[in-house]
Amino acid sequence: MFSRAISYRTVWDFAVPDSIAESQRWILSTMQKHGQELVTMLWRILGNEQDVCDAYQDTFLQLAHHEGGQKPKHIKAYVFRVANNVAVSMLRRRITERNKLPVSITMGKATSSPVKELDSKYLQETLRECIAQLPEHLRNVVTLRDLAELSYAQIGKILGISGATARVYRCKAIQLLAVWMSKEE
Amino acid sequence: MKMTEIKTKNKCKRIRGWLYKAISRSFGSEANWLNEHIRRCPRCQQRLISYGKVNLALSFMKNQPHGLDLLMRANTQTIAVLKHSLRTEPEARELEKKLPEPKTFERYCKYGHSLANLAACIVILLLMKIGVFSSMDQFHNQGQRVMKQYYTRQVGEDLADDVFPNNSKPPSSARSRGLSKA
Repeated sequence: MFSRAISYRTVWDFAVPDSIAESQRWILSTMQKHGQELVTMLWRILGNEQDVCDAYQDTFLQLAHHEGGQKPKHIKAYVFRVANNVAVSMLRRRITERNKLPVSITMGKATSSPVKELDSKYLQETLRECIAQLPEHLRNVVTLRDLAELSYAQIGKILGISGATARVYRCKAIQLLAVWMSKEE
Repeated sequence: MKMTEIKTKNKCKRIRGWLYKAISRSFGSEANWLNEHIRRCPRCQQRLISYGKVNLALSFMKNQPHGLDLLMRANTQTIAVLKHSLRTEPEARELEKKLPEPKTFERYCKYGHSLANLAACIVILLLMKIGVFSSMDQFHNQGQRVMKQYYTRQVGEDLADDVFPNNSKPPSSARSRGLSKA
C-alpha cells in the first residue's frame, strides 16, 4: 500500500501541470464536505479499515483525473458513484481470493448452525457477498439507501432516476437478497 | 387560477395521506389477515425469516463501529498522493486532523430531554406568573373597592371618586347606602 502511495505521488507530481493543480482546490472542499459520509459508506460496504482508506484514495484520484482535472458537474453524484464502484470491485476481488483458499482455512462454509446464523460477522459477510452479486442498478440503490443512508430523493439525483424508481429498485434488491441469503444456509 | 391549483394540490396531498393510512391498515405488516396467513403458511414464514435476516445483517453492518481516526487516516493517505501545492494548503492540514462529527440531529438529540424539561419549566413558570398576577390584581381591586365603599359611606361619592378616580365603582348596594347617608 505504502509503495503504491509513493508511486501515485511521484506520477501525480510530475504528470500534472501546476495550473491544473492550482485550480483543484475543490477536491479538498469535496473531501471536507462529503468525506465523512463516504468513509461511513465505504466502511459499511468493505468492513476493513485499510480497504476503506484505499477505496477513498482511489475515489479522489479518479476525481482529480476526471476529464483532465476538470470539476464534474454533479460532484456529489460523481464521488458517491465512483466510491461505490471502487468498493464493490474490491469486495468482489476479496471474495474471489477467499474462494480460492482451501475450505479448512475459510472455516467451512457448508456447515450451518443456528449459532452461526446469528453470528454477526457471518451474516455481514454473507450479505456483502450477496450485495456484490446484485445487478448494478439494484446494488447502487441498496448501498446508497441502506449503507450511506441517503434519502430516495438524493439517490434519485445521484443515479439520474426518480425517487419512486429508486424505491422500487430497493424493494427488488431486498427481495433478491432475501432469496440468496436463505440459499446461503 | 393559482389558488384553485394550490387547493387541489392540498386536497390531493390529504387524500394521499388517507390512502396510505388505509392501505397500511389493510395490507401492512400489522394487518390481522396477514398475520393469520403467515401463521399457517410455511413458505411465507420462510420468506419472512429471510427478510428478517437481511434486515438483521444490514443493521449489523450499520452498527459496526470503526476506529475514531479512520476519516483522518483516509484523508492523510489521499492527500499524500495529491499534487504538492494541494498538499501544502491549510485546508489539507485541517483534513489530516479531522475527526468524525456527529450529525446535526444526533448532536442535538442529547439535549432533547433537557430542552423538554426547560420547556416544561417555562410553561409552569408562565402559568404560575399569570396565576399569581391575576390573583394579585384581584386582591388589589377588591381592596380598593372596599376602601372606596368605606369612603363613599363616610364622606360621600364625589369625594370618594376624587380619592379613587380610576377604580371600578363600588357595589350598587354600598353606593346607595352611602348616598342615602349623604
